[in-house]
Amino acid sequence: MLPRLVFISANALKGHGHFGAGLVQASRSLHTTSQSLAPVPPLPEKGGKVRHGIVPEELFQFLYPKSGVTGPYMLGTGLLVYMLSKEIYVINPETFAAAATGAVIIYGVKKFGPGVAAFADKLNEEKVAKAQEVKDLAMASLARAIEDEKKEQWRLEGRSMLFDAKRNNVAMLLETERRERRHTVTNEVKKRLDHQVALQNLHRRMEQEHMVNWVEENVIGSISPEQEKESIAKCIADLKALATATRAKATA
Amino acid sequence: MAGRRAALKAVDWVAFSERVPANQRGAFNALKARSDAIVARLASVPEAPAPIDWSYYRHAVARPGMAEDFERKFGALRIPEAVDTQTTAIDTREAEAEASARAYATESEDRVARYRAELEKFRNMIPFDRMTIGDLNDAFPETTLDKVKHPYWPHKAIADL
Repeated sequence: MLPRLVFISANALKGHGHFGAGLVQASRSLHTTSQSLAPVPPLPEKGGKVRHGIVPEELFQFLYPKSGVTGPYMLGTGLLVYMLSKEIYVINPETFAAAATGAVIIYGVKKFGPGVAAFADKLNEEKVAKAQEVKDLAMASLARAIEDEKKEQWRLEGRSMLFDAKRNNVAMLLETERRERRHTVTNEVKKRLDHQVALQNLHRRMEQEHMVNWVEENVIGSISPEQEKESIAKCIADLKALATATRAKATA
Repeated sequence: MAGRRAALKAVDWVAFSERVPANQRGAFNALKARSDAIVARLASVPEAPAPIDWSYYRHAVARPGMAEDFERKFGALRIPEAVDTQTTAIDTREAEAEASARAYATESEDRVARYRAELEKFRNMIPFDRMTIGDLNDAFPETTLDKVKHPYWPHKAIADL
């Protein structure tokens, strides 16, 4: 498909030799062998140089050494005159039809040739671009896949950390349990001893209070009625004496 | 008792967290929360209980010999330690994980080799504008037109044009 397009485009559409330095048309061998000569040589940028649309430049180069610059033109003119005069080519109505048709064709090709060529090239380029895109996408996705695999392998390296963390947890739990048990034991023992001490203190206080009450009761009970009357009389006498003493002191 | 205590291996939680894939993030957060709680609980319990002041109790407790008796029994007491039931299970699971990780790593390497081969094939391909149709069909076998199934142009189902 691609070589066929090249043939058409090179010969019919791009054949106007108004381009810069011409390239010698690369000789492309026919693919006569069953092996594919891949990669095929790159397509030439420009078609072979031609003069006046038809006559290849090689003819002019070939005739230049012998007949100079005007050689091929003389040859062409001579051939034309020979054919007309000897009536090898007879002028008939078809001649004028051919001339008119030729003029129209040349005008059409000159005017629309580059546009059609560009369009055809664009079609081709789109095809190639699509294929290239597919290829680029495939390469990018492969590269990304490789990256992802590498990342997954890196992730794998951290697997020991999980188990370390779990073992740490277990060890910490055991240690906490151990400490808590020791604390419990100590606290219990202390509680028992403190209970004993508190009990003792309570006993002593109760005894003390009881003793004090008993002594008070006995003392109050031992005071007999006569002693009470005697002490009251003595108190009155003392008060009287005290009163006269103060009255005397006041008047004096 | 101190000899049996296994040394705590420092776990780098930051590095650990980096390697957790997105679909296991929840499990990782749960593990971290649990671990932090355990650490906090351990820190809150003091190392050893305050020692009992035996001399005070010897004077304070009236009953003769009670304090000495308690002291003796307390000193002779051996508190049973909790039994570690999980570490062996963890070790077995770690060994299993190791084995499966190695298997996965080899598979992964195979995949990487395959991807690399394909990448090389793509890189060494001739550029498209220098291929013939035959070359294109060799490089991408899916582009070959089945001339047996569709003998007439365009050699593919009309719907695929």
